[in-house]
Amino acid sequence: MASLAPGAGKQPTWLHLEGLSASASSLLRDAPILLAGLALFYGLLALAQYWAGPVNTQPQIDLHASALPKYAAYSVARILVAYILSFGFTIVYAWIAAHNATAERIMVPLLDTLQSIPVLSFLPGVMLAMVSLIPTKQLGVELGSILLILTGQVWNMTFSVYSSMKSIPREMLEAASIYRLNWWQRLVQLELPYSAIGLVWNSMMSVAGAWFFLMACEMFVLGNRDLRLPGLGSYLQTASNAGDLGAIGWGVGVMIAVIILLDQLIWRPVIAWSEKFKMEQVEASQTPHSWMLDLLRRSRVLSFAARRTVAPAREQLALHFAHVAATTESSKRNTAAVWVSRIVAAAVVAALAVAVVKMIAMLGGLTRADTYGIFRGAGATFLRVELTLVLAGLWTIPVGVVVGLHPRLAAVAQPIAQIAASVPATALFPIVLLFLIRVGGGLGIGSVLLLLLGTQWYILFNVIAGAMAIPSDLKEVCDVFHLANWERWRQLYLPAIFPYLVTGFVTASGGAWNASIVAEYVKFQGNTISTVGLGAVISAATDKGDFPMLLGGTVMMATMVVVFNRLVWRRLYALAATRYRLEA
Amino acid sequence: MVGLGILVNEQLSTVLSQARWDRATTMLRGMPVVDAAELLMTVPYEQQQALFRKLPIDLAAKLAGAFPYYHAYVLLHSRPLDEMNAVVDQMNPGERIHFFDELPEEAWQSLMDELAEARQQRTGVDGAVEPALLPSQVIQPVEPIVEARGIEKKFERPDGGEVQVIAPTDLSVQPGMIIALLGASGSGKSTLLRMLSGLTAPSSGDVLWHGQPLASAKPNVAIVFQSFALFPWLTVIENVEAPLLARGMEHRERHRRALKNLAVVGLKGFENAYPKELSGGMKQRVGFARALAVEPEILFMDEAFSALDVLTAENLRGELLELWMQKKMPTRSIFLVTHNIEEAVMLADRVLVLSRNPARIRADFLIPLEQPRQRNSAEFLLYVDYIYKLMTEPDREAEPPAPGRPAKPPYRMLPHARPGGIGGLLELLNDRGGKEDLYHVAEELRMEVDDLLPIVEAATLLGFAKLEKGDLEITAAGKQFAEGDIATRKVLFREASLARVPLLQQIYTALASKSDHAMPLEFFRDILDEHFGRDEVQRQIDTALDWGRYADIFTYDSESDRLLLYQPATVEASEESWRH
Repeated sequence: MASLAPGAGKQPTWLHLEGLSASASSLLRDAPILLAGLALFYGLLALAQYWAGPVNTQPQIDLHASALPKYAAYSVARILVAYILSFGFTIVYAWIAAHNATAERIMVPLLDTLQSIPVLSFLPGVMLAMVSLIPTKQLGVELGSILLILTGQVWNMTFSVYSSMKSIPREMLEAASIYRLNWWQRLVQLELPYSAIGLVWNSMMSVAGAWFFLMACEMFVLGNRDLRLPGLGSYLQTASNAGDLGAIGWGVGVMIAVIILLDQLIWRPVIAWSEKFKMEQVEASQTPHSWMLDLLRRSRVLSFAARRTVAPAREQLALHFAHVAATTESSKRNTAAVWVSRIVAAAVVAALAVAVVKMIAMLGGLTRADTYGIFRGAGATFLRVELTLVLAGLWTIPVGVVVGLHPRLAAVAQPIAQIAASVPATALFPIVLLFLIRVGGGLGIGSVLLLLLGTQWYILFNVIAGAMAIPSDLKEVCDVFHLANWERWRQLYLPAIFPYLVTGFVTASGGAWNASIVAEYVKFQGNTISTVGLGAVISAATDKGDFPMLLGGTVMMATMVVVFNRLVWRRLYALAATRYRLEA
Repeated sequence: MVGLGILVNEQLSTVLSQARWDRATTMLRGMPVVDAAELLMTVPYEQQQALFRKLPIDLAAKLAGAFPYYHAYVLLHSRPLDEMNAVVDQMNPGERIHFFDELPEEAWQSLMDELAEARQQRTGVDGAVEPALLPSQVIQPVEPIVEARGIEKKFERPDGGEVQVIAPTDLSVQPGMIIALLGASGSGKSTLLRMLSGLTAPSSGDVLWHGQPLASAKPNVAIVFQSFALFPWLTVIENVEAPLLARGMEHRERHRRALKNLAVVGLKGFENAYPKELSGGMKQRVGFARALAVEPEILFMDEAFSALDVLTAENLRGELLELWMQKKMPTRSIFLVTHNIEEAVMLADRVLVLSRNPARIRADFLIPLEQPRQRNSAEFLLYVDYIYKLMTEPDREAEPPAPGRPAKPPYRMLPHARPGGIGGLLELLNDRGGKEDLYHVAEELRMEVDDLLPIVEAATLLGFAKLEKGDLEITAAGKQFAEGDIATRKVLFREASLARVPLLQQIYTALASKSDHAMPLEFFRDILDEHFGRDEVQRQIDTALDWGRYADIFTYDSESDRLLLYQPATVEASEESWRH
């Protein structure tokens, strides 16, 4: 990640190749970067050694605080690798979907469906495949866990890049084709930069999602096998199972620390760097800053390295593809490409058809009681999700509007809220559960609180953003007419934040459905506590290795999410885009 | 008849390309003068000019009387001064007076001066002047860079039918010329540009690049876009280098070429700026530098100056022309698309005027004026005026129905004008004594033809004004409207639109005949879908809503997307229409 920033910064002035002038101050300034590089190298080495080792799926999770740094490193490495794979998948999938109309017709609805399937439903398939693929090395299980994390973070990234690529302004596309940019140059100079902003924000959301589901992804029962991978998630899960409050506290603390560190070292610099991809016609007066990015940009070592490696590599690649494009006849390439895509499309359609047939066959194995359970669970979870949204709305709308209307309050409250939001709610579940058990509420009500913990932030942040965007002249109109408080809300605040509110609710709703699988079925102090719900159905089926039930629950959930999106959210979106848009 | 016309035309064309002037003269003499004039106008302009110079004075005089005044004016000027004088002298007196009458004031003055000068010359110099026409002066047919043969464009409608955007069109771009394609917005001129440049394929017909099909020819062209189309994440120089990189040019050479072209457009020192740090004019300079860097054979410009303010645009046009005249541009032709008449007359050597629905080339003529052109000179204004008249004159001939397809009656289109705009125009006209030259109206209002035309069309459609040969004249109803108060205006507008606007009549009848006096808007949208493309349907609906609400014909409920017949009692409803 770190090498991205300097290479893509200002135009490298590598025409005038200057050597490394080794003044004392510049060396001193670069010392942390050099040390960080060495540390990264050592970390990679250690990780490789561990992954190449023999399978050890039931390690004793050490609840001692001193084990935490190692566990944190393992978890971060998993999330990072999963992210890199997601990134690659995203670019390839989105590119094909955006460029091939035939493929697009299959790929986009498929993506829509995949997006609505909860992480746990992927677990058995992914895990069994990886373990049987690499049975003797730790790498197999690790890859399973990594792919599981990937299934939780990749879809929204792909969707974002796909829709960005489809919405590139027409004249830019025409410029690219009249000046005969080849596919590679189009990708790196037009399509990726245009998608960058959306991709960055979705990446952040995805990684946050990965932390949320980390506990589920690092420790699980698969039929008769009890798999545990050393990491922060399994640490927290074990501590929770043991009811060790001290260990839970340590685990949560370290997790928060790691998340804040990643935010400072990676996300802030990336956000500040991606500022240049904004499609604005004039320069914004306020741009995000990052000390880390400044450090990297000022570093002589890095800029020297970038001049020597990244820039020439970029140049060579670009020239190579230009040469290829110039020598291949377009007609020849086209017929070949058409054939390849036809074959691939046929294969994909065939595979999907087989999968659907098998799926229906498997669903046929469900008993009447099973089906009843699924429908009952769906109903319960539906009510629970809607209740969560209502509760979240009830407190976030007033608070968010007040914060958004007072810039000084926002300056204080926003960073605090951001940190609070970055703590994965799953890590807090044990503490909340303990509290719930003390006061005597069951998980039926308790799971609503758990869902709330995970999803309220989406709404809060959107409401704040919406309130901040209310033009001050409209507020002044309210003053001039001496509008009463309630009138103000009815006439201005609520309509003005409506589009933002819809966005927040859509995200929160999707998140809540997905989170139900960890909120309705919790292992705590050696017991499994669960309640009626679709999430519980899926979790229990995974635990028992009951595949027909798992499939049934998953199909139900995907259907409900997709149908609800189509019927409710999309209409509200349309309404927000037409009637409640504040035009500049 | 049509077939015969084409046959004769081709014969004349062939005869002229072989420079057999006598044969052509005999041909023209053999037919009625009006037909001869019409036939002559169908051949390429260069040939017309060459032949007209060769014609005997008497025939030239007869023909000059039969041409439209602007055509006569231009053709007359292809002959030496004294011959021009002789031709004018021999014209039928009635036709001559008519010709002089129709000339705009500036052109008339200038022609008078010229004729006076010719008479002086003749009295000074004895004997006739040698009709010197050197063979080299006859314009040789040149091989075009790009040539379109019968290209047309159709778009599919949602219901499966087709909308023809561009009628079959022949068009070629010769080297050494600036060609301007003029048309109102939505006339399909940008589509034509995109087909010529190879960006989009025509629905049928061929585009040939040096005689090769465009797809396989890899034409070296560049486009300067209205929205600049720069990549905001690349610096200025990276933007200019991008097309060079695509051609596989090495870094050093690429950099050198980009710097050179940035210097040409006056952006030296801005290499490492990002586009968002630059003003609009400077951004478009980057657009030009990027286009010039590939050394295109044809430089296409798609409304390249439209997004700039007036002064910046003027400045940039001037610089562009200077580069072109001084041959500092590595390009052989410029093809620009614009809706700005003055821009076209300022820059172009040849002007094509496009009509709408579907687009076809309505006029194709040269502007043989010297550069730099004076905005206030008689000739300049003559051309501006001529184009104004061309663009305001409704299409003469309707498209002959194609065999095998039932001819659908062309739907009368609502011009996109607001009632307020129509009122403003009528007031102005009324203040100026009720009649005014259209070009002067535009000048007065500082409006582009693009913005003015729909208003003029609307005023004539409603019967508030008449358009005759470029003069706009207010009618009695129009006068009443201009002098009336709001309530009177609404009544007049209602009467006029119910009497003369088919779409509003249709809506009114439909609403009045229903028991609940309400109809979904979708119903009328479907009707319009039959006749227009999707964007145009939306514009038609918007305009109809605007007019119908102003005229108190109906009200519109956006919640239910329904039209309701206006009933005077519904006070809220009329308030609603005021708010819009």
